[in-house]
Amino acid sequence: MAQPFNELRERLLRAGVAPRHVRRYLNELADHLADLRAEEERAGRSRADAESAALIRLGGMDDLAKAMTEQRHFQSWCGRAPWAMFGLAPLLFLAGAYFVACLYLWCGWKIFLPGADTPFSGVPTGPIYGLANIYFQAGKFYYYSAPILVGWTLALVAARQRLKAVWPTIGLVLIAWMGATAQIHASRTTVPGGLGHISMNFFTLAPSGQNVSDGLLHALVIFTLAALPYLIWRLQQAFYPSA
Amino acid sequence: MAARATNPNFMNGVPELLILRLVQQQEMYGYEIVQAIRNRTDAVIAVGEGVVYPVLHGLEGDGALKSRRKTVNSRSRIYYSITPRGSRRLAELSESWTNLADAIQRMLTGGQHGATIQ
Repeated sequence: MAQPFNELRERLLRAGVAPRHVRRYLNELADHLADLRAEEERAGRSRADAESAALIRLGGMDDLAKAMTEQRHFQSWCGRAPWAMFGLAPLLFLAGAYFVACLYLWCGWKIFLPGADTPFSGVPTGPIYGLANIYFQAGKFYYYSAPILVGWTLALVAARQRLKAVWPTIGLVLIAWMGATAQIHASRTTVPGGLGHISMNFFTLAPSGQNVSDGLLHALVIFTLAALPYLIWRLQQAFYPSA
Repeated sequence: MAARATNPNFMNGVPELLILRLVQQQEMYGYEIVQAIRNRTDAVIAVGEGVVYPVLHGLEGDGALKSRRKTVNSRSRIYYSITPRGSRRLAELSESWTNLADAIQRMLTGGQHGATIQ
């Protein structure tokens, strides 16, 4: 894409215009520019002159940018409500991911450990041991990677919208804290043969020094892993702005 | 004092009106629309040609236009056509602008004050 459009793209994204609107706008501008250039060449201009004339006819950078930025319905949710996108949505996504993890655990409990009081204590025996082991290990992997995956999604959204670091950092800190303090409780009801009960709690740590330091370390690990792609992108932007 | 409808910006709605009028006749893509506006207004209305796209996208977002991708002469283009909602909007804009133009014309020719512009 031509250099003027790269600059326009950056301006629009930084102004909060949604990436899909920016992409479509620039595609149509590129097509329009090609038509104008062809028209100018048919009129007898050289290729360089035709290019210059076409760019002038297309409009100045300020006009092209203003036409998009002054219409509110082209704004992305990152631009309209960053507090919701980076303060609320990641927590809701992570809560949803943990809900799926609990469901997965409950199914494994019912299938592989029907007699155990909790899914964490019993060990299945017999030919299903291997299958059960794979099942529960996959669940554990999903459970521990969920906050990191949500963080990467958040980082991708922030990078696509060329956001400054404040909102993504807030979102990543919240995710790290939620992920580090998440605790699963599983117990069977006192009714014989009754259903197992699984619950979770977040954002609190038992007030012992060991728990607090473990929680902070866990949060730091999640934050570092989740923030890594965003950090790499920021460094890339700093050293290679046109990339 | 009772509130009155005013026209704070005379050019408000002009691009929408022209675009809706053009695509009412046939589906067109952006470059065609701009050239048609230039030709039919004898270049009296001339703007940076690229700014037509936010107007088109805005109209599409409002449901006044619909678009489809079409390949012509091995080039893929987005063609716009009017919707029933767009036709209603065109009728409203046309009436409003006809009233406004009549009122201005009467002023210029020294006639009596026109009816209140809605």
